Amino acid sequence: MDLPEYRAAVDRWLDDNAADLTPDHGLAATLDEQMAHLSLVKRRTFDAGWMRWGWPERVGGLGGSTLLRAYLGEALTARDLVEPGIYSMTEVLAPTMIDYAPPELAATMVPRLLRGDETWCQGFSEPGTGSNLASLSCRATRTDDAWRVTGQKVWTSLAQYAQRCVLLTRTGTPESAHKGITALFVDMDTPGITVRPIETMHGALEFCEVFFDDVAVPFDRTLGDEGQGWAVAMDLLPFERSTSLWHRGAYLYRRLERILAAVREGAVTPMELGEVFQQLYAFRARSLATQRRVDAGERLGAETSVDKILLATSEQAVYDLVADGLSDEVVLGDDPVSERWRSEFLYSRAATIYGGSAEIQRNIVARRLLDLGADR
Amino acid sequence: MDADERELFATSLQHVTADNTGAALDAALDELGWREALPADPRAAVSLLFELQGAAGTTSSALDILVLAALGLDLDTDVGVVLPPLGRTDPPGSVAGEGVAVGGLAVGGLAGRDRVVVVAGGVEGCLAVVVDTADLELRSVHGLDPRLGIAEVTGANLSATARSDPPPTAWAAAVAAGQRAIGHELVGASRTMLGLAREHALERVQFGRPIASFQAVRHRLAEAHVAIEAADATLTAAWDDGTPFSAAMAKAVAGRSARTVGRHCQQVLAGIGFTTEHDLHLYVRRVIVLDRLLGDARSLTRRLGEDLLARRSLPSILPL
Repeated sequence: MDLPEYRAAVDRWLDDNAADLTPDHGLAATLDEQMAHLSLVKRRTFDAGWMRWGWPERVGGLGGSTLLRAYLGEALTARDLVEPGIYSMTEVLAPTMIDYAPPELAATMVPRLLRGDETWCQGFSEPGTGSNLASLSCRATRTDDAWRVTGQKVWTSLAQYAQRCVLLTRTGTPESAHKGITALFVDMDTPGITVRPIETMHGALEFCEVFFDDVAVPFDRTLGDEGQGWAVAMDLLPFERSTSLWHRGAYLYRRLERILAAVREGAVTPMELGEVFQQLYAFRARSLATQRRVDAGERLGAETSVDKILLATSEQAVYDLVADGLSDEVVLGDDPVSERWRSEFLYSRAATIYGGSAEIQRNIVARRLLDLGADR
Repeated sequence: MDADERELFATSLQHVTADNTGAALDAALDELGWREALPADPRAAVSLLFELQGAAGTTSSALDILVLAALGLDLDTDVGVVLPPLGRTDPPGSVAGEGVAVGGLAVGGLAGRDRVVVVAGGVEGCLAVVVDTADLELRSVHGLDPRLGIAEVTGANLSATARSDPPPTAWAAAVAAGQRAIGHELVGASRTMLGLAREHALERVQFGRPIASFQAVRHRLAEAHVAIEAADATLTAAWDDGTPFSAAMAKAVAGRSARTVGRHCQQVLAGIGFTTEHDLHLYVRRVIVLDRLLGDARSLTRRLGEDLLARRSLPSILPL
């Protein structure tokens, strides 16, 4: 199926099924409600086939261009049927499984993620390991029958909902840095795992601390080889900055449209509005080129940091416009629409922090794209 | 052009744009067949030439040629065109009684051009007339960027030696063609500025290490890179899309990006970049002027914002 055909068919199907797919509570709902609704939307789109296009057949997909996935996420977020942050986790974790999991494991697990039967999380950051990912210390020790994992992760999004976790562990010496890291695929119901959600500034329990106390992980749950965890992480991160960002950009575009419809006369100047629109447009132009490169089978790398920088900057610009143009709603409003604006404004403050901070992205550009050498 | 032809063409253009400027570059482009390449593959011809011309800091009459081509005027090689005044995109001419009046700019100073096209009218419809250069008042501009060879052009009661009525959309198409070209020129100049600043940062040692190892310097250069990539992406989109809207977006983004790149690179180049012993100043001058030709970033952005506020909706953009 090609993109124009897919686009027309998906649009028609979404029109026909709008009543079933639209959340009763709107997207200003609690995270519990959003997660339940996300599962419903994923299940229905999977069962209708749309969610399966763009994924390889060996993991339950129907094949076809990755552009189809980019379009589905765009269509769902543009219609306000899903929140892109939680929807696009699939775009980050499924490709990693496809590239690094033993084939039979990927074939069993990926369809569950695509269909919304399961939620997965990504255990990367630790209390002592933020930007310096290679310093992580959550330890996995090889015993006779399994890995034994002990340590702590933090900022693990959706861990309290997750059935599985893509976990980075230290298997080499503490000094082994990026060479001694191994990625594991962990069942979250394994004894010894404790999850404690953390309340964010925007009022959601979106991310968690996750504690591992002598947790057994079978050897066949190793992603890639022992010591290959850094490669797994480095290949995963560009996925965070490609299709997922396309979805987020499409969502922001719709939100900007809402701002424009709601803003009071004179509350934003033409210059302010024009600049924000232009930033979002430039991001979309950049991301479009990235989507085409993915479609052409190119391997993504450090250049996706440019996409991330443009998106994070645009996202904050969009919501700065909300803070100025809809200040009554953001500051005083306690109705659901105002609460959503406020929550989104507050959430946008994290856009330059999560998924590699603005500073780390610029370090990557300097080191890898401009070849400026080491920074010390 | 296929990939091989394109590469060969690019290599030749790189040589001629680096070694020639003004009339010499015009002659070299003629010899290279750039005029023939323009109708055959406008995207390759324009993007390659203007980016290289921007990178080398040289000038040619190529902008006149492509603006005239976009107006649908099939004229001799020695005809120039009057561009709107700085920051403007409306036709520079007006019809007053029997004659035509004009106030605008010419790039390359109309040197060697006996006749000039003046477009009069609005976006809804326009009139293109050919006038004798001798009837115009030309002020050769020194200004911010003397090497660009700008002339201020004024004239009143001009009599036309020929006239045509291009289709109503012709002026908008001509402006769009010029905006894409200047957008590429801005990107080319930006890449050179970043290259110069990068080189300096790697060579200049302070506190016992290259200044490229300091995060404050690295982040400025990273910002410059991101700005260039953003401009480049909007230009790609402008060619794919082909509308006046996307051309104006690309021009605005390229103009703002180039100013950003200039600011960061000048700071990194510090003292030496503030002297005439280093080439940076040539590019800093050039991008400020190019930003203001055929619509500057500020005006284009403000106009965009006004349109959006008036409509209270966003246009659909850049489909997958």
